[in-house]
Amino acid sequence: MGSLSVSRALQAVLLVVALFLPLAAGPYWIHVGAIAWYYAMLAASWALLAGFAGQFSFAHVAFAALGGYASALGVSLLGLPPAVSMVFAIVLAIVTGALIGALVLRLSGPYLALFTLAISEIFRLILVAEEDLTRGMLGLPVPGLFSGQSDVPYYYLGLALVVAALLAMNWLLSTRVGLFLRAIREDEGAARASGIDTTRYKILVFVVTSVIAAIAGIYYGHFIGILTPNIAILPEMGLVIAMAVIGGIESLPGAVIGAVVVFLLSESLRAYGEWRFVLMGLALILVQRFAQNGLYPMIEQWSRTRARPRAAASVEDRHAG
Amino acid sequence: MSYFLLLAVNGLVVGLIYALVASGLTLVFSVLKVVNFGHGSLYMLGGYASYYLISGLGLHPLLGVVGAMVALFVFGVVFERLVIAPMYTDKVERKDEYAIIVTFGLTILITNLALVVFGPFAKSPPSFMTGALIAGPLILPYDRLIAAIAAVVLLVGLSLFLKRTALGQALDAVSQSRESAAVIGIDPKRMYTVAFGLGSALAGGAGALIAPVFALSPSMGDLPAVQAFIIIVLGGMGSVGGSIAGGILLGLVQSLGVGYLPDPNRALAYTQAFGALLLIVTLLVRPTGLFGRSHLRLE
Repeated sequence: MGSLSVSRALQAVLLVVALFLPLAAGPYWIHVGAIAWYYAMLAASWALLAGFAGQFSFAHVAFAALGGYASALGVSLLGLPPAVSMVFAIVLAIVTGALIGALVLRLSGPYLALFTLAISEIFRLILVAEEDLTRGMLGLPVPGLFSGQSDVPYYYLGLALVVAALLAMNWLLSTRVGLFLRAIREDEGAARASGIDTTRYKILVFVVTSVIAAIAGIYYGHFIGILTPNIAILPEMGLVIAMAVIGGIESLPGAVIGAVVVFLLSESLRAYGEWRFVLMGLALILVQRFAQNGLYPMIEQWSRTRARPRAAASVEDRHAG
Repeated sequence: MSYFLLLAVNGLVVGLIYALVASGLTLVFSVLKVVNFGHGSLYMLGGYASYYLISGLGLHPLLGVVGAMVALFVFGVVFERLVIAPMYTDKVERKDEYAIIVTFGLTILITNLALVVFGPFAKSPPSFMTGALIAGPLILPYDRLIAAIAAVVLLVGLSLFLKRTALGQALDAVSQSRESAAVIGIDPKRMYTVAFGLGSALAGGAGALIAPVFALSPSMGDLPAVQAFIIIVLGGMGSVGGSIAGGILLGLVQSLGVGYLPDPNRALAYTQAFGALLLIVTLLVRPTGLFGRSHLRLE
């Protein structure tokens, strides 16, 4: 059994579990699961941006807020039909993503982190201050997408969006673009010197990940039914970072699984109050300190060595060595 | 006029505290080349440390501040040794991301631990000195006056320490070039630890000084941390003098902005947004900051 098919099999099993879960779980856990898909989309797209392309951005949740608010305001303020309003929100995310991608071309590391943190804070503060438009901290009501009280349609919509986002990002990474992005992360100067149009690909990765974050925000807004500026506060960004890093910052399925596990854990440990986040902060530091690639790649590797017959393993090791 | 004076003096006091927080952040950045995203939680921890030293051991409030600084120095040294130090080895491939994640993780850890241990409700430590200084139209509570004086003493002390003492000069040498410093016999790793400890102590001292003025709460460090990020970018990452100027400037702008803009909700939000905008513009137009030293140019 090849190593690739082992991780494929693992992901297929998890997908089947996710598909049949609503049959076994009650309405509360279906609701929780549907929220988990929101975080899964954010964590996976942030992993592409920060893990693969090396653009450590703090503005990712602001893009979710941008998508959610734009889609909601398009309906209530501009009188657009919901579907058109969603397209409008996505176009806005493309433009804003490209703009920020272009602005941060010369920034990296802590400078990029501070820059995106400032962008995100300004956007959140505008949402708080412009009460006439956004209703500020009171929250902006957003119409639902499906009639009826059940969260099951949202659960499957969220799951479909996560799978679609993963397939799209995997496809992108399997093309030359994936190689270029990693080359830019490792050494931007060298990448440029070997003929890669670094400007183009850095803007591209900001656009792609911003659009996915915006779609996540649109989904979340219509599902929850109310948006507040708090979806873009720094602790929310911290949650997304923790999910991606714990799951695997350089593994898209790892980030998705990290998001789902962290979110389900934090919901099932509600009785322990803030201790959950103490645990999460500690896990974030420990994973980064001792397993920088995250926990999912470790599990993948472990199952790989288990699945591989011993003889074949020793041959492969000799080749690898 | 007296309204203006009142706002300006209060802005100056808050600005000096910001400057103190930012100088610690700057020291850590210039020596380790790390932006400590956990700096605000160390500020908060300093406030609580002094509160418990004063109420538990019955120390004089000013001794509580000193005790908090010592405690935070030790905390910073331990955290640097345990978590940040591996960054200098080959085990960590992407150092910038590593530093951001572990220091940001520290914020999540410490802030929530504070919520559990200290509780979400605001605590107020005893005053340094009750009453207020009244000079004509100006009314300045002694707590604010003492916090401002202590901040000035600490900032002047820090500047003298960095310029006049052997240890301070060694720190400055490492901030300019690790390799050259190592060549002349300075151990950069020891300086990283010292700088992180001192940076933590300065954050803790600022938190302890402001505690009697504003109340203590687990989230008290969020705003000063963001202000400190703005200040160190404005002041040119790594310049202590720049941090002082930047801090005072930002404190004044915010105090006057909140005092004079008409709609209070918008005024509060937009004076904060103004700082963030300054950060963005500075990074785009003049990445070395307004007072940046040339050797700390953007790499």
